[in-house]
Amino acid sequence: MRTIDDFTRPLEYLSPLDDPLGKIVRDWAENYVIPHRRKFDEDWKEHALIEPAFKKLMGELGMQRVLFPEDLGGWGLGRSNYVGTASYRLFEEVARADSGMAVAFGVVYWPMVMIAMEPHVNRELCEEFAPIFCNTTEPRFAANAMTEPQGGADIENMEIVGGSTIQTTAVLDGDEWVINGHKLWPTNSGGVCDLFGVVCTTNPGSRDPNDFAFIFVPADTPGVTQGPPYQKAGMAADKNGDIWFENVRVPKSYRAHGPGLDLMYFKEVISFGNMGSISFVGGVMLNVFERLYEFVSSETYKGQPLKEHDAVAGVLADFVRDTEIVRMCGYQYARMLDRPDLYGPRWSDEMVAKGRAIKYWACDQGMADVGKAMNLMSSYGADRDWDIEKHWRDLKIVQLWMGGKQLCQAEVARWFFDLETV
Amino acid sequence: MSSHDLFPCMYEWMSDMDVSLAGNLRRWAESELMEKRLELKEDYAALLAPAMRKLFCDIGLQRLFWPEAHGGDGHNSPSAAYTMVAALEQVARGDTGIALLLSSLWALQTCVATEGRVNEEACEALSPVITSNDAPAIVSLVLPLFRDVPQAKAKLSRGSWSVEAEKARPASSGADASVFAVLCALEGVDDPGDALGIVAIPGDAKGIKRGSAFLKTGLAADRNADVEFAKVKAPEAMCVARGVEACRAALAWFYLGVSASNVGALFACHEILKEWGDNRVIKGKGNIFKDNPLTAAVMAEVAKEISVDRLLTCDLARVLAEPAIYGPAGSEANFVTASMVAHQVAQSAEKAIGNAMEMMASAGYATEWNLERYWRDTKTMQLCLGPYELAKMDVARYFYQSQAR
Repeated sequence: MRTIDDFTRPLEYLSPLDDPLGKIVRDWAENYVIPHRRKFDEDWKEHALIEPAFKKLMGELGMQRVLFPEDLGGWGLGRSNYVGTASYRLFEEVARADSGMAVAFGVVYWPMVMIAMEPHVNRELCEEFAPIFCNTTEPRFAANAMTEPQGGADIENMEIVGGSTIQTTAVLDGDEWVINGHKLWPTNSGGVCDLFGVVCTTNPGSRDPNDFAFIFVPADTPGVTQGPPYQKAGMAADKNGDIWFENVRVPKSYRAHGPGLDLMYFKEVISFGNMGSISFVGGVMLNVFERLYEFVSSETYKGQPLKEHDAVAGVLADFVRDTEIVRMCGYQYARMLDRPDLYGPRWSDEMVAKGRAIKYWACDQGMADVGKAMNLMSSYGADRDWDIEKHWRDLKIVQLWMGGKQLCQAEVARWFFDLETV
Repeated sequence: MSSHDLFPCMYEWMSDMDVSLAGNLRRWAESELMEKRLELKEDYAALLAPAMRKLFCDIGLQRLFWPEAHGGDGHNSPSAAYTMVAALEQVARGDTGIALLLSSLWALQTCVATEGRVNEEACEALSPVITSNDAPAIVSLVLPLFRDVPQAKAKLSRGSWSVEAEKARPASSGADASVFAVLCALEGVDDPGDALGIVAIPGDAKGIKRGSAFLKTGLAADRNADVEFAKVKAPEAMCVARGVEACRAALAWFYLGVSASNVGALFACHEILKEWGDNRVIKGKGNIFKDNPLTAAVMAEVAKEISVDRLLTCDLARVLAEPAIYGPAGSEANFVTASMVAHQVAQSAEKAIGNAMEMMASAGYATEWNLERYWRDTKTMQLCLGPYELAKMDVARYFYQSQAR
């Protein structure tokens, strides 16, 4: 019998953590998530079922510490040359169980990309924030506060709008930044966040890259208010909500790097977001394969397993083809992030564009394939007991976030065809 | 301009009553569902059940196509196809799940009560349910999960059918059904062409065992559950569709209902997307979302899908409404047409609503904007049609005389 381990992995450049971490996370998924995940939708607000699984993964198994330097209690992954491929495997395994948990877990890393990654480690900020994540066995959450009410993903469309639409302001007052603004939708908001990375402008309306600021704000800082979580089509494990910053004061040193550099390394955040999204698609498709295998083997049509019908087999083959391609492209992009010496800086427009291209292809193809898998299952396709419909709802959210398909298209076309206005 | 007027429709085939009914149902959808759903979401008891009761009983849609002689409104000629489309578009715009329940009910009624071939005994038996002023008539269609393999069997003995199914998965409403319409393999029948039939069984018949309602992707108004039929007895006349052609006719009418319901969901999708496109600003102040060529192109695709789906659904209604021109609803040609239209419209709805969600990014999947519910609902309804890959075998058989099974 074939299993998900029969899908191809790039053996020649897997990280040394691939196998051990993969096994640990799969064991966690089997014991702490998969038996409970069918009840997660109703737990979207309270997280009574979801929280213990986070505690085990992030706090007790220590996965929330991996990016930080070893001497600060982390695992040093941010300073390794396999942060991409190791993360890919981790996220894929979590997403196989629940992609909402995968994004919540992945986004704990996300603001830290700004400060914990070579060659731009901000040692002072790592020392400041590592204890939040490393000195506890409780789960701790970080969030990138980017999206704003007036323009959604415009924040991420830096090449065209150049930060001019950002309305969250940061004003230097002595040795402190004073932050005011309203953010929406970050993963790990909705009341759970411990540390925000906030995208701000130091000069509203400016397109000057020097005016883009990425400033860390602990969630318990006076003036920070988190709204309740939104209800969504899926991904109950990921809480999203409003955040208001009202005259929030943080030390001057909480700005990630400073004028020009904040924007430059913020693009690396986008690259990692793309890699993570691809890994989530891959993880979802692996679990859909498992559940679909069981269904088409056990259900019969005219005296034979459903999978033995030639036309059905064609759909099954397409599903495997695309799962293989997502896996291969995803690992390849992760490898490109691991080797900037070969592929260029992770924050380059080229790397962002290539990540966007694979991300939106994987999402589109994944949505189509999982939708067809549901269709093969007749009424059982919509039945939560078969898990596939949950993955279908969750995957739609992966497809739509980070600016959705159209921003991906714009960035891909812009880089490859030298567009100037789109 | 409402979506009813905006998207192309063959108005020449519709009566004044159809248009008037659509207007009334539009108002029902707005007052009973759309104005309340921000607060009540998909709450069955607080929102959906009261809206359904008003629609089925007070407005009386469950009696509309029932013969006057049996307490109905007597609109039971094949031309009811247009009325069904006009009504279901508006009902589904308010709630797609309620539209599915109506589609199931009306599919059964076409078997039992179509003008010229009224099954008097079955009408007599079902009238208390259909003409009730108190409770919605909920019909659960138990159709093949996989194309042409029934989930149940029925045996005729001494003027009574005995229906058996171990664990049937209805297309809808297993938990709430007041009547089951079970497509069965008929045993002990001499003519192989007669070996399929739909047996109508009251929901409280002895031997019916319902499971718990299961959680599913969408269609919250439809509470479905697996059902066991243990030698459930039904009088011979309750086999309301006997033979392949009669069963195909029932399915063709059901497919019309599913198509019209998808069009109604698409109307709602258009309204939500239009509001977004009119008001959202991108790339800084002054750049209205709908005026960006990239997003305008996707919005145009959504409008194209809705327009074509509506025309296709109107055409299918025409085919079923005019047997003198197109032959009986259950002919192979008409059944294949109905199947193709239903699958095409269902897939198109999935694509169009998916595209609209992409336009709205996070708002697309936030329950607050309501679009995501139509996306879940239309996908769930698509699955009531069974696997498309197997339905293609019927198409290949008709167009190419393929023997593929």
